[in-house]
Amino acid sequence: MYAGRCYGYFYRLTGDRDLSDELLSELFIRLVEKIGSYKGGAFESWLFKIASNIFHDHLRGKQRRRKLLDARRSQLELEPDLNESRFSDEGEDRLDKLQVHLNRLDADTRDLILLRFYSELSFKEIAELRSEPIGTALSKLHRGLKKLRELMEG
Amino acid sequence: MRDRAHENLIELLRRFMDEPAARAAHEDIQTGQRWLEAYPAPAPEAQVVAMIKGQMAVAALRKRRITQFIRASVTAAAAVIVLGLVGLFGHGPGSRTPLLCGDLLPTALWDSDDLTADDLDLVYFSSELGQIEAQMQALDGDETEIGVGAPEELEMELMAIQAEFLKG
Repeated sequence: MYAGRCYGYFYRLTGDRDLSDELLSELFIRLVEKIGSYKGGAFESWLFKIASNIFHDHLRGKQRRRKLLDARRSQLELEPDLNESRFSDEGEDRLDKLQVHLNRLDADTRDLILLRFYSELSFKEIAELRSEPIGTALSKLHRGLKKLRELMEG
Repeated sequence: MRDRAHENLIELLRRFMDEPAARAAHEDIQTGQRWLEAYPAPAPEAQVVAMIKGQMAVAALRKRRITQFIRASVTAAAAVIVLGLVGLFGHGPGSRTPLLCGDLLPTALWDSDDLTADDLDLVYFSSELGQIEAQMQALDGDETEIGVGAPEELEMELMAIQAEFLKG
């Protein structure tokens, strides 16, 4: 039940099955470790907050790796394309049309759309989870889904 | 976008925009939702789920062992402190003996021939230790207004979550 939804959330964020496996594993290990911090309320809200944090930790790590790679590349004066494919997170998954267009949205909007879809939380809960006003979350989601609709139908 | 909370989206949109804009936004959101539903994400493979289940079991066991070790250590430390304090201050000011290195246990208790008094002291010590242990367990469980008896409840919650997880 939760595993499928969390996996879908990670997969649509990354487009990579292996990486989604890793993130899902990390999520449930962290769940065991942090179960003491769950103080009741909507379990989905608590679970997807951890899932969102794990994804953002992954993004930050990826950015750090990219910086290191750039530094190394300029040091070795390599061609830019040589290392790009080796360190790409795209893997060898064949991406569907939805994934291709989701990847064209910025990471924050993509996260919001997928959080709403897979967590099934209300806007009030999502706004609280993201620590932003409900109007802001609603507006971002509307703009993102409108853009996605245009891309899918275009 | 399934709505667990059954919130009225159009009503929510009307709070932030006028009627035509709210209707247009509602249509955009509904259509975007249909695209997401039309392309379901793959499910995790059974092997991955089994592996994660194993990792969770190991993590839970490790956490339980650490908790038990900390609880035992704190209880033992508290017992030593209580016995030390009783050894230092348990007798009247007139009968206080000079403190010797390692003289934490009230030797008078064990040397006495008065079995009735010894028994009373033992009851007193046992009661003190019991109270301290209960307090340590409460602290260990991080009891707030919600989490009373936390370790066992947490383990039950964890088992329930694992059961829910395996449904997926």
